[in-house]
Amino acid sequence: MKLKDILSPFTAWKHVVKEPVTIKDPQSREGAERYRGFHKNDIESCIGCGTCEDICQNEAIDLVPVDGIETKDGDSGLRPMIDYGRCCWCALCVDVCTTNSLSLSNHFTWVDEDPDAFRFIPGVDKKAWDNEEKGWKKPEPNYELYGTERVHMPELHAEDRDKSFIEFVTGYSKQQAEEEADRCVECGICTATCPAHMGIPEYIKAIRNDDLEEGLRILYETNPLPEICGRICTHKCEDVCSIGHKGDPLSIRWLKRYIADQNPSEKYKEILNAGNVENNGKKVAIIGSGPSGLSAAYYLALTGYDCTIYEKLPEAGGMMRYGIPEYRLPYDQIDKDINYILSLGVKIEYNVNIGTDITLDKLKSDYDAVFAGTGLHLGRSTRIPGSDHKDVFFATDLLREISLGKEIQVSEKIVVIGGGNVAMDITRSLARLQNNKFGKVDVTATSLESEDIMPADREEVVESREEKAIIDPGWGPTSIEIENDKIKGLHVQKCLSVFDESGRFSPKFDEKDTKFFEADMIVESIGQGMDIEYINPETRDQIEFDPRGRIVVDEYFQTGAKWLFIGGDIIQGPDVIHGIANGHKAAIGIDKFINQDG
Amino acid sequence: MNDIKTKFDITDIIEQRENLSFITIPKEHAISLVTYLRDVKGFKHLVLLTAADWLEDEEFQLTYLLNNPDEKSDLGVRVFISREDATMETAHHLWEQVATYQRELKEMFGIDFPGSPDVDKPFILEGWDDKPPYRRDFDTKQYSEDTYFPRPGRESNDPAEYMKKKLYPDEK
Repeated sequence: MKLKDILSPFTAWKHVVKEPVTIKDPQSREGAERYRGFHKNDIESCIGCGTCEDICQNEAIDLVPVDGIETKDGDSGLRPMIDYGRCCWCALCVDVCTTNSLSLSNHFTWVDEDPDAFRFIPGVDKKAWDNEEKGWKKPEPNYELYGTERVHMPELHAEDRDKSFIEFVTGYSKQQAEEEADRCVECGICTATCPAHMGIPEYIKAIRNDDLEEGLRILYETNPLPEICGRICTHKCEDVCSIGHKGDPLSIRWLKRYIADQNPSEKYKEILNAGNVENNGKKVAIIGSGPSGLSAAYYLALTGYDCTIYEKLPEAGGMMRYGIPEYRLPYDQIDKDINYILSLGVKIEYNVNIGTDITLDKLKSDYDAVFAGTGLHLGRSTRIPGSDHKDVFFATDLLREISLGKEIQVSEKIVVIGGGNVAMDITRSLARLQNNKFGKVDVTATSLESEDIMPADREEVVESREEKAIIDPGWGPTSIEIENDKIKGLHVQKCLSVFDESGRFSPKFDEKDTKFFEADMIVESIGQGMDIEYINPETRDQIEFDPRGRIVVDEYFQTGAKWLFIGGDIIQGPDVIHGIANGHKAAIGIDKFINQDG
Repeated sequence: MNDIKTKFDITDIIEQRENLSFITIPKEHAISLVTYLRDVKGFKHLVLLTAADWLEDEEFQLTYLLNNPDEKSDLGVRVFISREDATMETAHHLWEQVATYQRELKEMFGIDFPGSPDVDKPFILEGWDDKPPYRRDFDTKQYSEDTYFPRPGRESNDPAEYMKKKLYPDEK
């Protein structure tokens, strides 16, 4: 052994008094301004769409329920939980976040003895960096990983459309549809809001894959009227679209129309693999051929039921044909959807009035069950002085007459009372008829609701104005002035609010702020009522009505008279998609009812 | 270039641009060509040695990228070797740093260079016991799933399904 070997361990001791090479972590050292440190999440604006989870290449994110965050329309109630055992702080989750709720702080040190502490829900599990301003945020604007702008839908120019009833929305081309479909992040938040719970991300995906037959199959799983819904659905889905938080929501309605438009009707049976249904020997009568009746008939027919629809009017479709103007929903497209349903063996008896031509009791005895989707066709009156004049009309009556091909009264100066879609429909129809008759438009629509809370779809209001109709919202009608038995106009007063604090209808007016709309014809469009004269007193006794006079049904739309199911506008809506959903659900209920009956 | 062509069995020449060309040569003549280029043609500097996996052709492609500092031009020498017998003569005697490239190629592609210093020592993958990861038949995702499995207790929810469960559980 050499002397050096003996001494060398002691030489190590000299380091005891030497400055160390490494330094202690200086806690005060701050990360750079845009450092990608620990996650923050604004829990209020996060909607739990899961796009962060989808994009994460390290599978570091889980979506978990959080106490106190409710699942509701537009919010899954889930929030992202991040596993720092896998995260690499690439910030793709931040860059793709549809609401910009997720961001990274510039904090980068975190010491804990419990490894599970590093799995946490940003924004819910409180952290020291929650209020740190610095760090990585999605730069705005033009830093989106998906398209924020909707592909423009081609339309006829206002001047080309305001004289005729031809369809003015021309539909997407293949390229436009695929481009629009490409903006979808497939979160599926929309599905819960759709009354029919359509497989929206799935059919949008089918468009991206250019597999429109698969798209059609997905549509028909929940909706047998895709041409119709693709045009006039109230598209509640688009209101909750996650992309809509920081951009234009997906044009879900037009994409649905694209799928239906591209599939030729003669191929439907083959694509949908229908036609091999065995008749089960049971019969169901359906009153009314509107969306709920047709939907019930379609799903019942698929299950083997023999369905007969009784329709009061000469053609099928209910409000879709007799309420919605042709320029929004052409008759041949209604026929395409309905004819397919008829091709499955569903029968329609036209011009039959239940209660007078055939009694409800007769249907009860001839069929195993009855579904009624008779809708809201009775116009409601404002009952203001003068409203009983012969030149005061109900919008629904006029729209029906137009669809029946009858000539209606069209005056030079018209005022429409109402701010819903029906009011816009009659306003725009009258504008076209005035244009044809007088070469000019002079129609004014006025509603109780102010512009921001008008119940009509926004585009309806915009398009009405493009067609030179005047929309003047926020006025309550007080009286109709009549001179020498002729209408002079409508007196209104300013409406300050429509609903009280608890959301009940209770309009408040400023009686001093008044206005006079000159008119020689007035149309009331303030809502519709149901006509259930066909339900005989004996049956009516078995049906439960709520304090406001509405029919009470169970979740399958079964009434107290067990054999009678009622759905559609009478129960929910009024709109097409609720009707379709009701009809589908009622079909399931009717199937259950008949089967347990033996 | 003509001089090289007469002396060596060049199978392919690509003149990418004025100062960059690629030539292909059979495996057995490659090292003598590279030596000739270094000692006679002024390509004194080795820029890099790299490989590509042509799985469908069952070949690896080696590229010796050489630089002539006087003429300011680059020349890539390409050699195709079989994937099955993935060995190549070493070139570390020409440039010392080639040994490092060869060690890396051994580890990532499984191409052997017998005689190259430390060629069998792990380069960056410590304790690797799988297929060399740059080979294209190595399934990165599968490896990652087998090796880096999620920690126990993790559970996630699909937003659409979760909303159905909460809001309309009874519907189809």
